[in-house]
Amino acid sequence: MQTKKALKFFSIFEYEKEQDYLRNMHKSGWKFVCISGFCVYHFEKCEPEDVIYQLDYNQEGIAHKDEYIKMFEDCGWEYLQDYVGYSYFRKPAAQMAGSEEIFCDDDSRRQMMSRVFKGRILPAFAIFFCVIIPNFLMSMDGQNYAATAIFGLLTGIYLGCFGLFAYKYMSLKKRR
Amino acid sequence: MDQHIKKVYVPMTETAFYILLCLRKPNHGYGIVQKVEKLTDGIIRLAPGTMYGSLSKMEKDGLIKFVREEDKRKIYIITDLGSEVLEIERRRIERLYRIAQEEI
Repeated sequence: MQTKKALKFFSIFEYEKEQDYLRNMHKSGWKFVCISGFCVYHFEKCEPEDVIYQLDYNQEGIAHKDEYIKMFEDCGWEYLQDYVGYSYFRKPAAQMAGSEEIFCDDDSRRQMMSRVFKGRILPAFAIFFCVIIPNFLMSMDGQNYAATAIFGLLTGIYLGCFGLFAYKYMSLKKRR
Repeated sequence: MDQHIKKVYVPMTETAFYILLCLRKPNHGYGIVQKVEKLTDGIIRLAPGTMYGSLSKMEKDGLIKFVREEDKRKIYIITDLGSEVLEIERRRIERLYRIAQEEI
């Protein structure tokens, strides 16, 4: 069996992009096997097929795995794995009547965003305000330029992430 | 009825409405999906992520309660509070429909 690996980074708000990436890979004859380590995607050669990939973020579901997966399997979604809080599912387009997703209304899409927010963004907020910002300010005494640069960069990255999340959340809100 | 329940469920999403409507009899998530598909001639197909999130949220809010588990599927039934909210929503939709009929 021919296989290949790809290193690809998607931020936590880019699950839609990630879903499209996996779908396109499958369409071009590379079936997703798993994701491991730091964003390493494993694929194996297959017949090209249009398969829809979907990600859910539901810690309660992961805690009650049996019933959670059963619900998806009943609806024809194959469960693949969990990765950093996200659960991966797929279903061939040919088995769908029309287009299907694992969420059928924007209300539940927004609830997923708020689960991501509570699970990932809030802890990041805590690290940002308790570690990054104080270190950045303390390093500004002109003694240690490397520390200033590193913490300055981290501050930028964190602010960028918060901004992206806010943007994404707002655009979902507007769609309603 | 507490303000939180009013705010979230009056009015409620179509998904929430169908869940309450179907849970007047004990049923599990997938049973509800199938029943709604039948009731609406396939127009409404509830999705598993939405169903799982809604059921656990409605259970926490006390609108439905867990009865038993069967073959890894959790069976729920509506509570008194759930019935009350469903009735308020039914009346609201009825009023909408009646006014639309009169006006259009």
